Amino acid sequence: MNAPRSATLCALTACLLLAGCASVSPDGLRGQVQALADGRTAGVAAPALPSSDPTARQQADAAVAQWLAQPLQADAAVRIALWRNPGLQARLAALGVADAQRVQALTLPNPTLTLGRFRSGHEREIERTLGLGLIDLVTLPWRTRWQGQQMEQATLDAAQDVVRLAFDTRRAWLRAVAAEQVAATQERMHEAADAGAELARRMARVGNWSRLQQAREQALWTDSAAQLARARLAAATEREQLSRLMGLWGADAHYTLPDRLPDLPVEPEASEGIEARALRERLDVRAARLELDRVANTEGFAGVAPWAGDIGLAYTRNTTTEQDTGHADVKRGWEVELAVPLFDWGGAARSQARGRTLQSAAQLQDVALRARAEARTAWLGYRTAYDLARQQRDAVVPLRRFISEETTLRYNGMLASVWQMLAEARASSQAVADALQAQRDFWLAEADLQRALAGTSGNSSSGIASAALPGAAAGRAANPEPQGH
Amino acid sequence: MKRRHFFSGAATAVAAASVGRAALAALPEIPQHGSADTAVPPSPPTGRPFRPVVTLNGWSLPWRMNAGVKEFHLVAEPVVREFAPGFVVNLWGYNGQSPGPTIEVVEGDRVRIFVTNRLPEHTSVHWHGQRLPNGMDGVSGLNQPAIPAGKTFVYEFTARRPGTFMYHPHADEMTQMAMGLMGLWITHPRLDAHGRHPLIAPADRDYAFLLNAFAVEAGTRTPRVNEMTDFNIWAWNSRVFPGIDPLVARRGERVRVRVGNLTMTNHPIHIHGHEFEVTGTDGGAVPPGARWPEVTTDIAVGQMRQIEFVADEPGDWAVHCHKSHHTMGAMGHDVPTMIGVDHRGLVAKIQKIVPDYMVMGERGMADMGAMEMPLPENTLPMMTGTGPYGPLEMGGMFSVLKVREHLAAGDWRDSGDYVQPPGTQAWEWRGAAADLPPAPVAPTAPAASTASRAGAATVRKPGPGGTGHAH
Ligand SMILES: [Cu+2]
Repeated sequence: MNAPRSATLCALTACLLLAGCASVSPDGLRGQVQALADGRTAGVAAPALPSSDPTARQQADAAVAQWLAQPLQADAAVRIALWRNPGLQARLAALGVADAQRVQALTLPNPTLTLGRFRSGHEREIERTLGLGLIDLVTLPWRTRWQGQQMEQATLDAAQDVVRLAFDTRRAWLRAVAAEQVAATQERMHEAADAGAELARRMARVGNWSRLQQAREQALWTDSAAQLARARLAAATEREQLSRLMGLWGADAHYTLPDRLPDLPVEPEASEGIEARALRERLDVRAARLELDRVANTEGFAGVAPWAGDIGLAYTRNTTTEQDTGHADVKRGWEVELAVPLFDWGGAARSQARGRTLQSAAQLQDVALRARAEARTAWLGYRTAYDLARQQRDAVVPLRRFISEETTLRYNGMLASVWQMLAEARASSQAVADALQAQRDFWLAEADLQRALAGTSGNSSSGIASAALPGAAAGRAANPEPQGH
Repeated sequence: MKRRHFFSGAATAVAAASVGRAALAALPEIPQHGSADTAVPPSPPTGRPFRPVVTLNGWSLPWRMNAGVKEFHLVAEPVVREFAPGFVVNLWGYNGQSPGPTIEVVEGDRVRIFVTNRLPEHTSVHWHGQRLPNGMDGVSGLNQPAIPAGKTFVYEFTARRPGTFMYHPHADEMTQMAMGLMGLWITHPRLDAHGRHPLIAPADRDYAFLLNAFAVEAGTRTPRVNEMTDFNIWAWNSRVFPGIDPLVARRGERVRVRVGNLTMTNHPIHIHGHEFEVTGTDGGAVPPGARWPEVTTDIAVGQMRQIEFVADEPGDWAVHCHKSHHTMGAMGHDVPTMIGVDHRGLVAKIQKIVPDYMVMGERGMADMGAMEMPLPENTLPMMTGTGPYGPLEMGGMFSVLKVREHLAAGDWRDSGDYVQPPGTQAWEWRGAAADLPPAPVAPTAPAASTASRAGAATVRKPGPGGTGHAH
């Protein structure tokens, strides 16, 4: 009687140990997400992710308040977004939920205890059966590994979202700063047009100009008014977008932006090794590789599961008591329940798993291909944007300025009219606005390049911004669910 | 500009430039003139005697006598002409300058002129107004083949008629004249035994210049040769005021001024303080009975006028074309009139986008004469030139006749500003306004109260100091 009992205990202990290995990550895997995203968050060194710890939250709030008190720099905007973006917070919370679900999935079901009391003639029979579905125990090592891999994958996905949010915020910051500057330029231009139109009105009033000539200046004024209105709208829209990404509203959204974009770098980044770098560092490539490993791992199990079926193990102790004599007869024994692999030998499941492996391999190839192409395209866009911005800054703006200055000299000599001078000055301001936009486009292209090289594809970046995130566990519908329990 | 170089001076150099010496061994040397200053020629060293003209901001071409023939050598070539200090223009000219040197001969002289073409295209020389053999008239294609680039042609004829003439190309002449290729020709009269001529009186001062016009856009230095009407550089001998030398005379001297017009419009040339007579045209001397007194003579396109007067009124007297745009430097002909336009409140706005902006023309154009504002390179102000009493507000076809009590016969120098005798200058009325005679009012003038009704110009008067530009 002792031996089976100890065996039972051993089995139970083993189960408990295995189940105990799977514990919930205390920070909901945030540390891992942060480690993965590190160096990939739009040039910001080691930004922190939102913490569930109240003290850390207070510190973060203080830091945010401090950043918002001065002109908001791009780095600060990224840090605020990573702390405050509700979409990202939901995403990370979901990751914690998924982690808990994983742990739950690895917990063994409780054994069943069956008690029976039967009466037959003079006999009273008491039946005790302790049953345990063995399949969970048998597949525990596999399942532990899959669940681990799946969490790793979910963590990678979350890290990609962090990266996207960081770059989206940087892009939004660039757009907002540039839009404000452009609006300021348009404002100056409009003031000049305003002066021109007013002067034209006074010209017409004293009889120096016809209504026709006045109307032409008036038309310029209406054009510039419309342009200014559009520029102001663009500035407000871009700012809203930035605020939304940073998760700011109300008084917090009244921050000021710097009055200039960062200067262009002296030398653009070279194109050497960018594809290799993208393949080495991109998180989506890493995720696809992990996925392939995981799917390949399921192949062995898939063949066993159908016929291994529900292995049941039960220990029974029946006591039969003679009512008259009080003599008790004890019957003990083990019971094992096995599926008979008569029809399903697991072939279909195996080929299904093989198919999935092939699918994952192809997907990895596809992701790698996209990473290469995106790296090349992003670099090309980056380089072109650099050249255009340089040309606009070093050639177009000085040219326009020169033309404007020369026209002023001609105005000085009464060789040109004040309206010709104003027209050239407007063209010069427009060139400055265009240069601002070219500079912005360069930095946007730079952000795209950095993301394409180290982070991930930008395709689903809108997902995080919209704050409507699916749960992390539901995010991988394409993955085969571990079977058999 | 103020100092006049004499002919024998350093200004005349002998060029040994691109045409090879061996090739030109039989040719007279090529005199060159390096500055736009007036070079007063000496009495003729050879040939028949005459009293040379003074070419304003120009010079006369030396010659050599060769078996009784007067030989000249003209070289048509690209030159850089200084129109006024700080303003130079790429032109085509002769012997280093545009216009070319004045050729001076005496009636009856046999003249041989070597013309070397150092222009990039062919040329020819037409001797405007001369009686000469048909084959010497210089119309390329009609009278002769054009002189190809790099070649030398010879013209030879007898100067049969005294008078004032010109020479200029008659091959691609539109371009070549727009580029300044032209010169003066003076045939002095042959005098009788008493040193007299029946129609041509001896003159103490004999000035000559050509009217020429160029289209030189502000900031450029080469004329637009296709311009027909909108010229902006109105010049005498390719000089513009204040770059034009004055005409000086001692009081009582007989002054002759010869003016030829090679622009595309007429120029009414006006002299202050004196009446003159037109004593000659390119057709010759005007008979005394046909002369009448004038203070302005209109010189039509392609014409020459020779006017004479006795300089008997001391002072500094304006001599100018009476088309007022022709006494202006470069100006924008489509700049709107700003007179009377209120600029209050607008200057700061405009300065936001054009920091160097200043109001101009609000009270008229005279600001231009007083203000020193930066201009495009190689561009003269529209109005310039300053006299003892302030800006003259003139440019272009303007000079000064300076009549002085005491001046040596051979002294052609600028005699400085004239100092009016006390009490002979307009003065400021400093008495009470009530002492002024009442200003008469036209019977149709509107009453004072309606003068500022809507639509009427209200000119803002300049405040004290007159520098009210910073509104
Ligand atoms: Cu004129």
